[in-house]
Amino acid sequence: MNLFERLQKLDRRWIFLVVAVAIILPLIFPFNSKTYTTDPTEKLYRLIDSYAPGPHEKAIEKDKAVLMVFTHDASTMPELFPMEVAILRHCFERKIKVFTMTFIPSAAPIMDYAINTVKEEFPEIKSGEHYVNFGYKIGALALPIVLGMGEDIAEAVDIDAEGRKVSSLPIMKNVKNYNEMNLIMDFSGSSAGGMWITYARSKYGANVGVGVTAVMAADEYPYLQTGQITGMLAGLKGAAEYEKLVDVFASNPDPAKREFSRELLKDPKWDDAITNQNIQYKFKQARIGMNAQSVAHIMIIVFILIGNIGYFITKYKQKQQG
Amino acid sequence: MKRTLPLAIVIILGFLFVGYVFVPHKISQDFYDWYMEWMKAMSPFGVILGIMSITMTHTARIQHKVPNWQYSIVTLIAMIFTAYAGFQWGTQEGTPYMWLFKNVQMPMGATMFSLLAFYIASASYKAFRARSAEATVLLLAAIIVMLGQVPIGVSMFGEGINDITQWILNVPNLASKRGIALGVGLGMVATSLRILLGIERTYLGGGE
Repeated sequence: MNLFERLQKLDRRWIFLVVAVAIILPLIFPFNSKTYTTDPTEKLYRLIDSYAPGPHEKAIEKDKAVLMVFTHDASTMPELFPMEVAILRHCFERKIKVFTMTFIPSAAPIMDYAINTVKEEFPEIKSGEHYVNFGYKIGALALPIVLGMGEDIAEAVDIDAEGRKVSSLPIMKNVKNYNEMNLIMDFSGSSAGGMWITYARSKYGANVGVGVTAVMAADEYPYLQTGQITGMLAGLKGAAEYEKLVDVFASNPDPAKREFSRELLKDPKWDDAITNQNIQYKFKQARIGMNAQSVAHIMIIVFILIGNIGYFITKYKQKQQG
Repeated sequence: MKRTLPLAIVIILGFLFVGYVFVPHKISQDFYDWYMEWMKAMSPFGVILGIMSITMTHTARIQHKVPNWQYSIVTLIAMIFTAYAGFQWGTQEGTPYMWLFKNVQMPMGATMFSLLAFYIASASYKAFRARSAEATVLLLAAIIVMLGQVPIGVSMFGEGINDITQWILNVPNLASKRGIALGVGLGMVATSLRILLGIERTYLGGGE
C-alpha cells in the first residue's frame, strides 16, 4: 500500500487529534489578527448606536430601546455568548435602554450570566432604570406576548425576572411598544428569529436583528436581502466584528470619536486587541476564538486537499493498471 | 371514538383560529383571550407531565437494568438536585444553581456542540471528493467561504476573498435558500389545509 492509499484509509482518530491540536494551540498562544467588519454587523451596530441618548439628554428620557431575546441553551454559548456580551457592553457603555427575555427555560441563567458579566464593569448601570430582565416566559405564551408587546409591553410582559411590575419601572418612561422598543435581537442556533419577522416586523414594523451560529447564517440571507432583518451577527465571526466595533467606537476613550466612521475602523491600532491589556478577556473572547477558528478552517481545507490528491492519484494508478 | 373526538377537536379549533386571524371582530378577539387564559393554566401541567415522563422512563430503565442504566441514575439525581438547588437557594449569581450552570451544564453543552468541528473535519477528509463537476463546484465554494470567514484567509488572499464569499452567500446561496423556503411554505399551507379538512390524519398515530 503506497502513501496515497494509506492516506485514503487514514484512521479518523488521527484527524481528531490534529484538529484538537489545531484548535487548542491558538487558544493557549493567542495572536493578533485583523478583524474585518461586514455590512450586516455594521448595520446592526449603527442602528443600536442611534438609540443612544444625546449629550444633553437623560438616558431615562430616551424613547428608544433594544430587546435581546435569548433563544438558545448552553451548547451554543461559545458562539452566541460573546455576541450577547458585546451588545450588552455597547448598550451599557452608551446608556442605551435594553430589555432581555427568553421563551426557553435553559436560557434564563444565560441571561443572568451575560448581564452580570458586563454589569460588573459598569457600576452606574441600574436594573429597572437602564435595563430590565423580563426573565423566562412560557414558550406557549410566546405568540401572545410578541403580539401583545406591539400594543403595550408592560401589559404583555406584566412582571420582570425580579418579580416587579414592569409598568412601575423607571425605564418604561417613554417606552410603550415596538415604536420605542424598536429593535429585537434574537440569539439562537436555529431560525427562531422568524417569529419576530412574521409578527413584530410585519404587523408592527419593528426592526429585527439576529445573532445566529455560523451553520445557521446561510438561512438568514434571504431575509437580509429583503430588509426584513436589519442586520445579522453570523457565528463567532459576527461576534468578533461586533466586539471590535464596540472597542473602536462605543468604548473609545476619546468621546469625539464615538460616532461610526470607516476611516477610524481602518486604523491598524485596533487590531492588537489580543495583546492589548486595556481590553478585558471577556470583551475579546470572540476574537481569541477566531484564531482557533482560523487554524481549524485551514486544517479542514488541507484535509480536503490531501484527501482529493490521494483520491485522484489512486484513481489514476487504478486506471493505468487496467 | 378514540380517533373521532381528537379529530373533531383539531378541525373545530383549527377553523376557529383561522377565523381569529382573518376576522378582526370582538367575538374572535374575546375567544382568543379566553383561550390564552386557559393556555396559562395548562402550561404548568406540561411541566408536571415532563417530570413524570422523565422519572418514569429512567426509573424503568434502572429497574430493568437496560444497557447503560447507570446513566439514568445520574440523570435523575441531576434533575432532583438542580431543581432543589433552584428552589432552595434561588437562581441568581452566586447560588449553587448558577454554579452548576457555569461549571457543569455550560462546559458539557459546549463540549457536545464542539464535536461538530471534529466530525466536519473527518467527514470532509473522507467524503468531500471532486467526483463530478457539481461536486467540484461545491468543494471550491466551500473552500472559498471557509477562507473568507476567517482573518487568516483574508491575510493570505487579500480582501477580494471576502467579496467572493459575500457574493456566494448573497447570490447562489440566497437563491437556493429562497427556493427551499418557498417550497417549505407551500408544503406547510398544503399540510395545514389537509389537517383542517380531516384528510391528513397521521398525526393521530396508531392504525385504523
